[in-house]
Amino acid sequence: MREDKVISGAERRSPVRRLLHPVRTRLAVAVILATVGQALVLVPLAGIALIAKLALVDGAGDASGDIPDVVAISLACLVAGMALVTTGELLAHLADNWLTVRLRKALVDRLSKVPLGWFSTHASGAVRQAIQDDITTLHELTAHYYTTYGRCIGAIAISVVYLLAIDWRLAVLALLPFPLFHLIFGAAKKSITEERLKDFIAGQSRISNAVVEFISGIPVVKAFGTAGRAHEGYRDAVDGFQKAFLRFTGPLVVPLANANAIITPVTVLAVTLAFGSLFVHLGWIAAVDVLPFALVAPGISGPMMLLGFLGHAVANATGAAERVQDLLDTPLLEQPAPGTSVRPEGTEIRFEGVRYAYDGPNDVVCDIDFTLEPGTVTAIVGPSGAGKSTIARLLLRFFDPDRGRITLGGVDLRQIASTDLYQRIGFVLQDVRLIHASLSDNIALGRPSASRQAVEAAARLANIHDRIMALPRGYDTVVGEDARLSGGEEQRIAIARAILLDPPVLVLDEATAAADAESEAAVQSALSGFASGRTLLVIAHRLDTITHADRIIVMERGRVVEVGKHADLLALNGCYARLWRAGGYGDHLPETAICEVTP
Amino acid sequence: MIRALLLLLSDDAPVFRRYVLMAVSYGLLSGVTIAAAVPVLGGLLRGDGEGAGRWLVILLMGVVACWLLRRRVEIAGIGVGLAILGGARLRIGDHVARLPVGWFTAENTARLGHIVTHGMMEIAQLPAHVVTPLVSGAITPIVMVSALFALETSMGLIALVTLPLMVGVFVLSAWLGRAADTAYQLSAAETSQRAVEFAQAQSVLRAFNGEGGGVRFLEGAIDSQHRSGRRLIWLSTLSVVLNVWILQAAFAALVIAASSRLSNDVSVPEIVAVVAAMLLAVCFVDPLLDVAAFGAAVRGARNQLAEVDRVLTEDPLSEPVNPERPRDASVELRDVTFGYRRGEPAVVSGASFRVEPGSMLALIGASGSGKTTLMRLIARFFDADAGKVMIGGVDIRDISSRDLSAQISQIFQDSWLFQGSIADNIRIGRPDATDDDVRAAAQLAGVDEIADRLPDGFDTIVGEGGARLSGGERQRVAIARGLIKDSPILLVDEATAALDAENQEAIARTLSRLRGKRTVLVIAHQLSTVRMADAIVVMENGRVAEQGSPRELEARDGLYRHFLQQRQAAKGWRIGA
Repeated sequence: MREDKVISGAERRSPVRRLLHPVRTRLAVAVILATVGQALVLVPLAGIALIAKLALVDGAGDASGDIPDVVAISLACLVAGMALVTTGELLAHLADNWLTVRLRKALVDRLSKVPLGWFSTHASGAVRQAIQDDITTLHELTAHYYTTYGRCIGAIAISVVYLLAIDWRLAVLALLPFPLFHLIFGAAKKSITEERLKDFIAGQSRISNAVVEFISGIPVVKAFGTAGRAHEGYRDAVDGFQKAFLRFTGPLVVPLANANAIITPVTVLAVTLAFGSLFVHLGWIAAVDVLPFALVAPGISGPMMLLGFLGHAVANATGAAERVQDLLDTPLLEQPAPGTSVRPEGTEIRFEGVRYAYDGPNDVVCDIDFTLEPGTVTAIVGPSGAGKSTIARLLLRFFDPDRGRITLGGVDLRQIASTDLYQRIGFVLQDVRLIHASLSDNIALGRPSASRQAVEAAARLANIHDRIMALPRGYDTVVGEDARLSGGEEQRIAIARAILLDPPVLVLDEATAAADAESEAAVQSALSGFASGRTLLVIAHRLDTITHADRIIVMERGRVVEVGKHADLLALNGCYARLWRAGGYGDHLPETAICEVTP
Repeated sequence: MIRALLLLLSDDAPVFRRYVLMAVSYGLLSGVTIAAAVPVLGGLLRGDGEGAGRWLVILLMGVVACWLLRRRVEIAGIGVGLAILGGARLRIGDHVARLPVGWFTAENTARLGHIVTHGMMEIAQLPAHVVTPLVSGAITPIVMVSALFALETSMGLIALVTLPLMVGVFVLSAWLGRAADTAYQLSAAETSQRAVEFAQAQSVLRAFNGEGGGVRFLEGAIDSQHRSGRRLIWLSTLSVVLNVWILQAAFAALVIAASSRLSNDVSVPEIVAVVAAMLLAVCFVDPLLDVAAFGAAVRGARNQLAEVDRVLTEDPLSEPVNPERPRDASVELRDVTFGYRRGEPAVVSGASFRVEPGSMLALIGASGSGKTTLMRLIARFFDADAGKVMIGGVDIRDISSRDLSAQISQIFQDSWLFQGSIADNIRIGRPDATDDDVRAAAQLAGVDEIADRLPDGFDTIVGEGGARLSGGERQRVAIARGLIKDSPILLVDEATAALDAENQEAIARTLSRLRGKRTVLVIAHQLSTVRMADAIVVMENGRVAEQGSPRELEARDGLYRHFLQQRQAAKGWRIGA
């Protein structure tokens, strides 16, 4: 609760400020160093002006004593200034690197605690984008923006103050190009209408979509020899984007070129000399006092232009910061408060009036009630889209039910600490995921401290030990690098993983089985050995493997329509019987695979 | 880097060359114009108002000329950007469309997507934000060197010596930066991969996170990126220090040289010349400092261009010069050998067999025995390393890609659906198919059941990649697509196409319907399918271990017999028995 309050209080600040909060002191120091340093770097210009004045006014001979001092002081300032700037930038970079690793780990930590269902609605690319790309974009801000800003301000401020001190009238006129630049620049920016900006952004997202469609579709398109279609879409998107880009930038080109031309060093130098000559002609200023202007004023152009560009970095970084902050604010899967979690007694599982809708009203499971007695085998069957996998995911707490509750050993899943939960419920799901690591690391994923003997024992039980030993690097084989494993072999690794964890309840997605005859037999014998004595929930896609289950739950459109043993269900001659016949397992001819259910 | 850019621009390269030429002339012109400021200042300091005025007029004219030229440079720069956003994007599209299907792995596809969207955007902005300031910043100082020579030979010499020294230091520091940068990019890529894995395997990672084991891989990658980031910071700081300090050292040398000229009694014109030379020294160093600051931007662009280069230099599948047409619907392999990567053992070696027109061949064998690869070779996802694949008596490399794809229809695991309706996606198989044809194929593939359930039936929009359908449903649409194509040869991967009972049934219906009418090659999984075949090829470790009719092979005590026994064992297996 207290933590929530802190967050809501901080929420009023911008995402960038919230993210950079921990390094704000370091950044402030870096900016001050860079600002002061850049100002010092410019001291030699004043030194040159002073030398010229000394030589011309006092005569070179008289001034020759002072000149070396001026040179020495100027160069000392130059060296000190550069040292300060470098230190400031180094500091900012180190702060960024420090912050980056913290943010990345905070993201990983947060995402490890959000409901698992979150990952099915967010592309893995989005996670990569946040953890890698967005935080790298922040680097522009943390490591570069603030110090560069400081340097620009330092350079501009000291130049302006110096020139004003020498002659404020000439200073105002010599610096005239800069406000003019902003005027033109601002007017040009204003000409970007909301509509054109939208057009441009729409064009950009259209091209992203067309690219995905085009590239992913190439294999299909090539297979069917109808290359034209997807290609057309891509061409259209490219052309459309080009036009939107032209509409967007076209009217800006000339005004921006004009604005840039006004503050190029050449122009500033010419303006300075023109007004300077005029002032000298009018007798308002000594000729030697024009020199500081010629030396210093053109140098303001660089920082001025840079300030304009810096805006881009901020805009990009702000977008990135928002995305990162959004992820850091993703609602967590409700966890029992520390100390209040309840350890389940026993392994009985009950679904009580469970309802869950994950994507609109079409994808719903509701009114689910059943009990898994310890040590029994329960199978869930039904046509695809019936909600079988949703039941498995709810039990594994990928997400929580909207209504009703699921209990393990009499305790609501929501009150069980996730480590306790996953020690009791293991699973082997349809999509086997091996980690890019050695085979032994993969098997020991849940128990990294397991001994090699334990790992090998699990692999033996999973019928994969011999295959692993046949690989040149054995258990040290890195998946996907040293060897390609077949689907069936990957499944057996996943089974070994579950065996090593040794949970009393096992959820099995049985579509795993469809690889080839050889591995199927191996997978199945591995599973049946491991499953005996445990509570088993099987999501069955084929019916012939589950005929001996203690209980079969038949699902149809999110509801339980039949429950019973194989023989009873066949005798009922309902949905299950139709599925059985459709699968062609019995002697009957296939009819139709879909049950007709009147809601 | 320039090579990759020119390769990318191809026909538009002259646009780029013209633009660079203009940027160079702009640099020269602004250098000369700045030099014109020297006599103005000199005139003022000497009290020669008239001379100053004359030069001032020239200076102002130069400024106007610079302004006009600058505008043209920027417009030309936009032109280059447009050429990249338009022409180059299309060129990449045309190029990848000719690459072998096998190239489109998940990794390559993702990388390509990034290049075409973000990469191109970044490269397109190169001219405006990087090339113009870089070129003019590098050219102007050269003019300053000649002007310095005219005023003060010693200072001219210092400036002249600085230039090659500076180039040397730039090269050295770029080299320093690059080594660290490459290491950093590698560790960043590792983190990216781990982040994707973290998201995709989240369920497994979380369930097996007992001792923090689930996140340790990603956290390890983040830590190592952190470490290589630190190294990169120190090295790039060093390279910035080198770049900037060599220039400031040159500046200091110029100031010292100038002030030493003032130590004795010198005439006013000489003092004026020295002062003017110091102004030139400032104008010499300033743009070079800007150039030094662009190092990072150039490095970023080089990475993008290297990626582009890698895609554009990928070899497309060769098209025959004198294409031949297949004579019938037979498929024949002669001594075919193929490996995915050099140095790895071949996945298929010395495979030979022949499928007569209109007959059905079942491919069986353990996973990893090369069945899928064989199918891919027949569909020309890749070309064989040795031996040849022939269709209708013609090497497939001598058949035009259009004719080849007209011959073959595939039902593989790859079931990408395009944005559009279910009917649209089925029609990809045969664009001129009638509604009745679509319905017939849909019925055979079991798509009609899906359409019946959806509000808009066959007109239901499936979303990108078919995201609004389940995996099994997408697969069935892909089966219908393969069926409607009506080509003489059908390739089916039963193991991966049959996700669930409904799909299994659709495949079985398809096979029994088309048997005897088409040449069918099927990676068989079901015993019933194997029994349907006219001939069987048993693969083992990439080789054809046995081939013959089902009856012949059953009689032999070989792999096929073993397969049948295994099947029976799998059939006999019961959970909870």
